[in-house]
This record gives sequence, structure tokens and C-alpha cells, in this order.
Amino acid sequence: MELLRQTTWLLWKDLLLEMRRRESLLAMFFFGVLLLFIFNFAFEIPRERAAEMAPGLLWLAFIFTGTLGLAQLYQAEKENHCLEALLLSPIDRGALFLAKVFFNLLLMLSVEVVVFPLFWMLFNLEAWKLLPSLFLVAFLGTLGFCAIGALFSAVTLKARARELLLPLVIFPLMIPVILATIRAMEILLRTGAFEEASPWLRLLIGFDVIFITAGFLIFEWVIEA
Amino acid sequence: MQLVVHRLSKAYGYLWALKELTLELRSGECVALLGPNGAGKTTLLKLLSALLSPTQGEITVDGERFVTSSHRLRSLVGLLSPHEHLYEGLTASENLRFFVSLYHKKINRLETEKSLELVGLKDWSDQYVGSLSSGMKCRLTIAKWLLLEPRLLLLDEPYGVLDGAGVELLESYLRRLCSGGGIAVIATHHVQRALRLCSRAIILDHGSLIFDEPKQEPWESFHRAFENFAPRENGWSS
Repeated sequence: MELLRQTTWLLWKDLLLEMRRRESLLAMFFFGVLLLFIFNFAFEIPRERAAEMAPGLLWLAFIFTGTLGLAQLYQAEKENHCLEALLLSPIDRGALFLAKVFFNLLLMLSVEVVVFPLFWMLFNLEAWKLLPSLFLVAFLGTLGFCAIGALFSAVTLKARARELLLPLVIFPLMIPVILATIRAMEILLRTGAFEEASPWLRLLIGFDVIFITAGFLIFEWVIEA
Repeated sequence: MQLVVHRLSKAYGYLWALKELTLELRSGECVALLGPNGAGKTTLLKLLSALLSPTQGEITVDGERFVTSSHRLRSLVGLLSPHEHLYEGLTASENLRFFVSLYHKKINRLETEKSLELVGLKDWSDQYVGSLSSGMKCRLTIAKWLLLEPRLLLLDEPYGVLDGAGVELLESYLRRLCSGGGIAVIATHHVQRALRLCSRAIILDHGSLIFDEPKQEPWESFHRAFENFAPRENGWSS
């Protein structure tokens, strides 16, 4: 209960700061939309190949916009050494990790809510009725992305050239999450049946659980190093 | 409250910032931590607040080992640092509410207003911290510790940004803290100011303890120790 209360306060602080500054969300939103337009100009997706190509392109956009958000994730804590103030307090370090995961998740989902239908419109895709199911798969993928991202964004917090280092560290680790998400979306688009995609979904849920649990448990050592 | 530092050492790579430091701080003590730049004052404060882990040695609070994961002991420690430790995008009252909530305490708006009034920031409660001056931010940090009531307060060069009224406010708070059984450790270069307030002085040099005595009048030994170090350190003077 105390963990939940602390996580809520930390999340409240991050959301309030983001609502006032709108630095991460606006940058992520415009970058995501920009990528879609670039993809639209660069690729012609034939209707019969939509199921193969759409998930990959869509996730490419999500990964790039998400990385933009991750680079800014601890920016508020860097100003005035606020991270030191948080570490000085008796909070559970896991609460800090969870708050950062949920904060980045909310940012990315806000972008995805706009990018998803826009992608469908730009590429003249049908299967609008599959959008909620696809969004659910994207949610699971995004959760895994945010868990790995929040952890390694903290690992590289004190590193020089952090913006360059962060993608190099996290992209290889995200391969299982990205692969499972793209495969599940592709199967959903092809067959329209959730059951067909269930092996990949189970894998995705498994990775989410592993990364969130591992992140929660080791965050104390990561952030205090 | 009793804080014992036993053979505490801290190395940054090959550089030893503190070497085999042993001392004991007791309830009600107000300690001036003095020494030239690079003496190890800030490192000692960070070790005492468990923001850093020692390379060797240990710190115990009332017999309990104080390590970075000691959440209960953390709630007893406050640090007033030149880095301000406040979110610039939050208002003064939001900062107070946020930080107090992390210490398992609940405060209402009235208590927030009252603490802001005590530090002379009542009219600034809804202002963003980014728009406050350094002195006002320091006062806001004092308001935070007024609400949190730590038992051990560590102050890293607190006099730099405060005006006369701010210094008086801080000193009256520290007197109250120590008379209530708390411990204050003030690392500063404002020697005379610190000595006026403190009941004990500690001098560090190159990470080693070279002087540790309770205040007395006349304090010949302190002046001798101080004069040995003052001339070779620009800016470290009474």
C-alpha cells in the first residue's frame, strides 16, 4: 500500500511537470507523425502485403518516438540534483522505477492513440475493427519497452554522451519484446483471431513480467551506483 | 540519538577523500565541520546521509548500522545542500507537499501555509520554484525540514545564499533542533558564524581528522589548529 502511495506521488509529480512543460510529449508526438509521413512517402504498401509490413513500420515509429521520451525521462531529477533529494528520502527505490515506467507508458500511449489511426488512414488500410485488438498488443509491447527503457535510462544517467549510448544499450535488449509484438500484430492482421497470436502474446506478457520484476528488484543498486 | 562513525574511509578511484575517520555525535550537539576545500567535508556529509556508501568503515545510528537501504533511518536525516533539491517546475507549496509525502507524512494546506509563513515565503506559495531566488529556495528547504523534523540535519555551506534574516531564521531553527535532542552538522567556511552557534568543532584536512573538541572559552587549541591551516587556503578565514 505504501509502495502504491509513493508511486502515485512520484507519478503525480512527473505528470504535473510534463503538463506544464510539454517538452517530451510534444516532441514525441511531432516526431511520430513526421515519421509516418516519411514512411508514407517512402513506401507503397500493397493491400495484400499490409499485414507483413504495417506492424514493422508502425513499431519503428513507436521505438524512435519512445527513445526520444526515454532520453528525457530523468531530466527533472537532474535539475537541482533532485535525484539526490529523492534518494535522501525513505522511499522504496522500486516506487521510483514503477513511476518512471508508468509515466513513460502514459506518454507513449498518448502518442500511439493518435499515430495508430493516422497510420491506417495514410496507408489506406482496412480492418478498422481490428484496431482495438492491435492497440492492446501495442500496449503490452509498449509496457515492455518502457520497463527496459526506464531501467537502462537510469543506468546511463551519469554517462557521457548518454543520448548516443542509451539506444545502443536498449535496442539489443528490446529485440524479444519488439519481435513478439510485431509477430502478434502481423498474425492478428492476417487472421483477425486473437487465438492465433496467443503464443507470441504469452511470450510478450512473460517478457513484460520479467522486465518489470527485474527492474523493480535491481533498481535500488542501479540508481544508487 | 547517538551517531557513531567508525574508521570511515571513502575513495573516489585512487583518491582518498576520507581516511579512517572515527567520531561520535550525541544528542543536542551542534557541530561545525571546518576545513579547506577538498578536505572531505561534503563527502562526510554525503556519507552521513547515506547518499554515498563508504569504501571502508561504518556508521551506526543508535547502534543500528546506517546503510543506503536503511529506509527507517533515512527519515531521521535531513540535508541542506547548495544544490537546492527542489523541482523548478512545481510551486513552493507543491514542492513541500511532494517531498513531505515521500516521508510517510500527511500535511494539509494549512500546515504548508504555516511553514511557508515561518520562513517568510507565504506570499510565494503559488510561485514556481524556478522563479525564486537562491536565498528563497534555501528558505523553502528550511520550510521542508520544519515540516519533516529530522533528528540529524546536515548543512553544506548554508550561509552562502541567505540574507541576515535568513541566517537568523536558520540559526533559531538549529538551536531549537539541538535543544530538542537533535544533531546538526554544519560544513562551512564561515568559521566565526559557525562557532557562534556550534557546541563543538571538527577540522578536516586531506580527508583526515586533525581537530575535534567541544567549544570552550578561551579556545586556544582551536585557534592554534585553525591558524596552522588558514594561511595556506585562500578564502578559508574567520
